Amino acid sequence: MDMRITEAMTVYDKLNILTDAAKYDVACTSSGTSRKSDGTGMGSCEKSGICHSFSADGRCISLLKILFTNECIYDCKYCINRRSNDVARASFTPDEICTLTMEFYRRNYIEGLFLSSGILKSPDYTMELIYAALYKLRIEHHFQGYIHVKTIPGASPELVHKTGFLADRMSVNLELPTAESLKLLAPHKTRKSILAPMRLVQNRRTENQQELVLYRNAPRFVPAGQSTQMIIGATPETDYQIIQVAESLYQKFELKRVFYSAFVHVNEDKALPARTDEGPPLLREHRLYQADWLLRYYHFQADELLSEENPNFNVLLDPKCNWALKHLEEFPVEINRADYKMLLRVPGLGYKSAVRIVKARRLGVLNFEDLKKMGVVLKRAMYFITCSGRMLYPTKIEEDYITRNLLNVRERFPEEVRNMGYRQLSLFDDVSFGENLKKAVSAH
Amino acid sequence: MKTIYVCSDTITGIFSAVYDAWRQEKSEEECKIAVKGMLEQELFCEYEEVEETQKKAQAVEVLIKKHLGRKAYWDIYHAALSEAPEKGTVILGTMLAAKQLSDSTRIMEHLSHKKVERVFELSRSVGGEAHSYKGFLRFRELVNGVLYSEIAPKNQILTCLAPHFADRLPLENWMIYDRTHGAFVVHEAEKKWVLVLDEGFDRSMSQNVSFKEPEYARLWKSFCRTIAIESRKNSACQLQHLPLRYRKDMLEFGTKEDTGHW
Repeated sequence: MDMRITEAMTVYDKLNILTDAAKYDVACTSSGTSRKSDGTGMGSCEKSGICHSFSADGRCISLLKILFTNECIYDCKYCINRRSNDVARASFTPDEICTLTMEFYRRNYIEGLFLSSGILKSPDYTMELIYAALYKLRIEHHFQGYIHVKTIPGASPELVHKTGFLADRMSVNLELPTAESLKLLAPHKTRKSILAPMRLVQNRRTENQQELVLYRNAPRFVPAGQSTQMIIGATPETDYQIIQVAESLYQKFELKRVFYSAFVHVNEDKALPARTDEGPPLLREHRLYQADWLLRYYHFQADELLSEENPNFNVLLDPKCNWALKHLEEFPVEINRADYKMLLRVPGLGYKSAVRIVKARRLGVLNFEDLKKMGVVLKRAMYFITCSGRMLYPTKIEEDYITRNLLNVRERFPEEVRNMGYRQLSLFDDVSFGENLKKAVSAH
Repeated sequence: MKTIYVCSDTITGIFSAVYDAWRQEKSEEECKIAVKGMLEQELFCEYEEVEETQKKAQAVEVLIKKHLGRKAYWDIYHAALSEAPEKGTVILGTMLAAKQLSDSTRIMEHLSHKKVERVFELSRSVGGEAHSYKGFLRFRELVNGVLYSEIAPKNQILTCLAPHFADRLPLENWMIYDRTHGAFVVHEAEKKWVLVLDEGFDRSMSQNVSFKEPEYARLWKSFCRTIAIESRKNSACQLQHLPLRYRKDMLEFGTKEDTGHW
């Protein structure tokens, strides 16, 4: 590393380089912590999080999302900052990070800091720098806004521990869904080195929660919890494998969120899927987020949504519709009697509607008019429910018939998926790269 | 004959009008509250100018909090900040409807009542705008170190924003100017914020930014440009989350490059 060049760079240049290098990280949420200022410094946190702007790709800007450095000793094949890439390199100093954060925050540009980093010299060296920046920010500048920081795999537990008392959220990137893919594309990382710090933060959080019961004012360890992200579409995993991984992360590591990041081509490498004109697999990413909601809020299990025989989500139907069509024996569901969990399984019924129904039916028998008034959208739900034993229209409970009708109901995709155009919606996103990858794997 | 109470577009004005109507025991059909500047003349009505006092307004605040509860007060207060001309009438209607209930604290659950529903709707829309501005508002640093912001909200949300920023920036001198309503909040470091209603405020000093300001403006604009992923570009989605009306006061959407003035 040529220190002279780094020193000569202006903060403006560094910010450009280290923002550009950080932009592929998905999470920018500032939610999960509620904190009033203590009057001695600057900053507070709102439970729901606050969006401060939206970038040209439609993503929320809430945090100053930057890398500490894009120098890296690793050579992960999908990553723009891999060692073998010839890109401009830069590193911030802890003071520069503090000044940027404080000055941006007081102008209300941001809700806090999201600090990630390439690996400079060693994991410990890098984690030490991150800790130093956070320490200055929290202790010297009395910054009380939101901080999300990356746990560096391979860093010593003491460092992770110290850092966790200064951050609101920590995350370790899972990078890729399986250990095999990791070996193929991120040869310097192992599943073990990624899961170890995740477990460490989880255990320390559990202890901290007990401390907080005893001493309300005890320092708080990663109060907004942990998250992770994985790249979708760079390797041949099925949707089934991916949601199984997500499920076990929620269950075994108590993660707050798993983020999915549609693979964006930034490098040329034999091991990566061939470049196509189709852009990142955004529809697939969208289906995974839908399934993720079903796991977290709708009491579904990965095994119910997909299987070995049927390992990928339907392009044309959302995961819940898809499940319902395969389980027509459970339908129709009687709105006035069905338990809450069953209501959650009705296509078109959200958890807010389900709660409203359960509350409202205590006061009287509900009919379809009442459901509409409550804001329940019936265009999908009507094939699966009865009110006092009657369906809205005479309907055959038959897979083909309902499927045909559901397909006539235009699904409301998020803008980014919609803008891909119809051509893509009719293709499985993962078809083209699957072939390429098999070649790459066998070549290894 | 129907009485129309005419008051100014302030919390004190609207609550004073509610006070008068309440005192005279008017029924829902017998009266309306109209806000000056949003008045539609009606025939066969008696117009009554409300004498507005702090005392009346406080009495109404106490009445609502005591009988309808704090949560309902929150909704009514926010509805009273709305841009909707009928806000006074629907607030009064909601209070009269609460009177009919055995448990008046549950009034905001009675969404089948038209006026209650409207208060709820207004409150949500005012609360929503206030939440958006908590993120979208920008300060710039003036030569004297004061952080200055200008916004043009539809509703009178300054009093919703002030506690948020007072908590967040307790050691700073800052002010937010609301162009739509000609009002501003001023916060002096380590003191309580104050709301000032003044049309004659001289804004020329707001162009006099500190010498550091252009550099931070440039850094921020560059950050916002760089953070977007080209292959996921999507201005429709951006527009949906961040409507144009907010953008004219947001540095990163300004056209004047790197001057710190926008």
